Amino acid sequence: MLELKEISKVYGEGAARVVALDKVSFSAEEDAFVAVMGPSGSGKSTFLNIIGGLDRPSSGEVILEGTRIDNLDENELVDIRRGKIAYVFQQYHLLPSLTALENVLLPLVFCGASKEVDRAVEILKKVGLGKRTGHKPSQLSGGEQQRVAIARALVGKPSLILADEPTGNMDRKTGSEILGLFTQLYKEGHGIIMVTHDPEIATFANTTVFLQDGRIIKKMNQKARRSWKR
Amino acid sequence: MKLYQVVLKDVIRRKRRVLYATLGVVIGTATVVGILTVARAGQERIYNQLEKYGPNLAVIPAINNLDMKLGDVRLGMLAVGDNYVSEDKLPVIRQIADGEIRKALKIEDEGNIATIAPNLYIDTKIRDSSVMVVGIDPVEELKIKTWWKVQGGKYLEQKDEALVGALAAQFLNLKIGDVIPLDGTSVTVAGILEETGSNDDYQVFVPLDTLQKASGREGLVSSIDIRALCNACPVETIADGINKDIPGVRAVAVKQIAASEMGMMERMSKFMLTLAGITLAVGLFGVVNTMMTSVNERIKDIGIMRAVGASRSQIVKAFIYEAIIIGIIGGILGYLAGTLLAYIAGPLVFEGTTVAYVPQYFALALVLAIAVAVVATVYPAIRATQIKVADSFRSL
Repeated sequence: MLELKEISKVYGEGAARVVALDKVSFSAEEDAFVAVMGPSGSGKSTFLNIIGGLDRPSSGEVILEGTRIDNLDENELVDIRRGKIAYVFQQYHLLPSLTALENVLLPLVFCGASKEVDRAVEILKKVGLGKRTGHKPSQLSGGEQQRVAIARALVGKPSLILADEPTGNMDRKTGSEILGLFTQLYKEGHGIIMVTHDPEIATFANTTVFLQDGRIIKKMNQKARRSWKR
Repeated sequence: MKLYQVVLKDVIRRKRRVLYATLGVVIGTATVVGILTVARAGQERIYNQLEKYGPNLAVIPAINNLDMKLGDVRLGMLAVGDNYVSEDKLPVIRQIADGEIRKALKIEDEGNIATIAPNLYIDTKIRDSSVMVVGIDPVEELKIKTWWKVQGGKYLEQKDEALVGALAAQFLNLKIGDVIPLDGTSVTVAGILEETGSNDDYQVFVPLDTLQKASGREGLVSSIDIRALCNACPVETIADGINKDIPGVRAVAVKQIAASEMGMMERMSKFMLTLAGITLAVGLFGVVNTMMTSVNERIKDIGIMRAVGASRSQIVKAFIYEAIIIGIIGGILGYLAGTLLAYIAGPLVFEGTTVAYVPQYFALALVLAIAVAVVATVYPAIRATQIKVADSFRSL
């Protein structure tokens, strides 16, 4: 269970003051597939960053599995990132000097499990990159890089995956393949919260949240689509 | 895969930037290694000179100058004692010198060890010019004055021969084969010495016996030079032994001169090392600077590592690993550059010195370079941990 209570986030002061989130309350089951929609500047990314502990709220509480995580110190947040929550970014954010396999291994290096190479290879196979493990990010296409990033997110066995416009840099076909992957993960029991501006992509989720000017203006539950239809 | 391997791969990708960061370390380390190498060569040179040039000990007659006073009126100085040392004392001196050396080096060689060269100085006139004629033991003298070279003719062999200093030969207009009258007897010029830059250039050398007979000072010498042949020899102990056991003579250790020369050398080394230290500090700030740039350039990478579960201390560790890599490269290059610097600068500082590379300075260079790089990285690394993950991606 993920719960947000009256979350506000304010950037800057005085004339430069921007309210990114304005007393947002939200809750979702941990195995939910939530799409967060809204125009640019509506606070979608801030919403996601606060859930994941990448950003701290100005006020309010974030509760994950019964524990407040908005006020954790750095070391406690590290523990959250090593198992509970993983990220997938629009820009993939892979380390350019490492191969696909090494990028997937990176979270294991930090939590001291870097010997589990087999698991990393297994996950790369699962995302369809079994034959590209030795390639550097610069030798991979955008879709392939995002698959590596998803594999990297999965290697730590997270309960919740946070994805910020994961298909934002892709053509439709590649994007649909990536979404297919997310749908599969959802079916396997991973909770997913995905920021997107594409209504069609949002139909894959079972909950869609609409943000505007830092507030939730609409929350809608639907039966999630299981496959991509043209 | 280990964290250091992640760092190593990143360093390889950013090799140019890393080499640039290394430059500060290289300059600092090279200066220290260069100065130490040159200073060492200089020290070696002084040792060699001492080894080569002259005696370790001089034994001279003990003359006491007594201040003569009558009430408050000073009557002048009165020299008390002989101006000469009796030749009979030579065996005793040898016994003391060889004995002490045997004791110090723990050898039981029966033969003569120290070189003991007696001299008799007589001021006389040759061709109407005042000249110092020196009576020598040709064989022993050459062992002390190893740098003597005969430029014309040959070295002293016969009792009626003379060896003339380069400048003495010039102003007395002496040539090989010339006969010099010497108080009733006469000697033939057998050879002329090459210029040495010492008093020897102005003197005429004849066999000791010949001069003793000619001057009527049979069995007497003016001074005795002793050379112990090694740096570790107990020169002071020998001097003490002679002073204690033989009355009427005074033994002086020439090492005192060496000590003062070494002291000068050491002061200079300290000054140079201070300069090297400053260079090292400047290099350190250079590394701090490039590491700060490196942190700024890698805000995104640091954010990625944080996002996938790196702790702050792991980020610091990653930077320290990078510093160690920089230190190792900097140490190797710094040692090479410093040695090269010494090869070039050494002969300019100490004329005619050949600089040898010093292998043990390699370890020093490595330790120094790694220390500098690590110290310089601490602050940038701590700054890197302050980066907020969300900000790191926004800044793109």
